[in-house]
Order: sequence, then C-alpha cells, then structure tokens
Amino acid sequence: MTDVLIVVALLLVAGAATAAVLNRDPMRQALVLSFLGLALALLFTFLQAPDVALSQLAVGSAVTPLMILLTVRKVRRRPGSGDGVDKPAGRER
Amino acid sequence: MSTSDGWLAAALVPLLALVPVLWRIAYGSPGDRLIGQNLTSLLAGLVLLLAAQGFHRTSYNDVALVVSVLGPTGTLIYARFLDVLPDSRLVRWTALVGVPATVLPLCVATGPGRAMAKLLLIGVLLIAGSVVTSGRGAREGVTA
Repeated sequence: MTDVLIVVALLLVAGAATAAVLNRDPMRQALVLSFLGLALALLFTFLQAPDVALSQLAVGSAVTPLMILLTVRKVRRRPGSGDGVDKPAGRER
Repeated sequence: MSTSDGWLAAALVPLLALVPVLWRIAYGSPGDRLIGQNLTSLLAGLVLLLAAQGFHRTSYNDVALVVSVLGPTGTLIYARFLDVLPDSRLVRWTALVGVPATVLPLCVATGPGRAMAKLLLIGVLLIAGSVVTSGRGAREGVTA
C-alpha cells in the first residue's frame, strides 16, 4: 500500500514539474511551483522522512514562490519596461 | 515497519483528488488557480493526517500542522499579489465535510490524550483557514 502512495506522489511530482516548465507566465509558474513543493512534501512523508518534508514545505511551497512573485512585481513596476516581463523568465531557464 | 493498509488506502482518496486540482492549477484562469492552491493545501493536510495514522507515527502530524498554518497564509499572500480571492463553495464544502470525516475517525482511533488534542487543533485550523480564504468576508482584505 505504501508503494501505491509513493507511486501516485511521484506521478504528481512529475506532472507538477512538467506543468511548471510548460507554463510561460512567471506568476502562474509560482502557483504551480507551490503545488510542486506540497507534492514533494507528501512524497517525503510517504518515504518516512517527515523532517525533510517539513523543510521542503517551508522552502518549496512558501519561500520560493513568494520570492518569484516579489521579483516579478519588482520587474513589472520598473518604468520603461513595458514588455520586459518575459525576459527574466527566459533567463532563468 | 508495520503499517495499516486501511488508513493508507483512505489517504489515497485525497491524494488522487489532487490530480484534477493540478490540472486546474496548470491551465485554469487566475481565480481557478487560487482555488486550486487553497484546495491543494487542504487536501495535502488530510493526506498527511491519514498517512501519519497509517504509519503509526503520530509525530508525522507535525507536517500536517505546518500545512494547516502555511496553506491559508500562502493563499492570502497570492490573493494579495493576483488581486483575486474568489468565493469557492468547493473549498468550503470540502473543508466542512472532509475535515470532520477525516479527523473524527482519527480521534476515535487515537484515543484521548495529547495526540487527540493536536488532531483537533489541526482540524480546526484547516477548517478555519479554508472558511476564511473561501468566503465572501475575506474579500475586503484583498483590495486594501
């Protein structure tokens, strides 16, 4: 039964990671990324590593998406960069 | 390692419910995405609670406690950035039906004590967080 849970969690992680790559808008990527963080935390719990899951929760589902959101906001606010929104996203990859 | 398959099979239900939620988060409108994020943390909390009972490790409930605190907080932060906080009957009813349906059997299985108090606290936090982030009353805070 544990194996089934692990397999489902792994599929969720793979699906979320693929969706995060396929989404082009950083704002949307941030939300998919927080889903990925939660899915990874679930996977770590099923693998009997709740301490890793705790740190993954804090970093993956809260801090990283928040930093992306703040960065996007800062970039969008800068004057004279009307369509400069997509450039930082392209640079990340 | 002794595990009880019944609880783990029960954990599989909210886990599988995450699959369509992922679809909505990846391809939905901004409102849908926010609802999806809210629903994800709620369902993940339930999965963690059931898995903790399935593995006979009550200390795993700490992860569920962190999810129940971080999830609604994250939703409110995203609502602030995306400027939407949609009403969501789905989230509210999932919380009002799913959380008691999960927490009460767990309480019965755990028996009275510290662990049960923790379970009840997690359940209350999950319900309160979902109601706050899915109701109409939360909308005023977003425009501020």
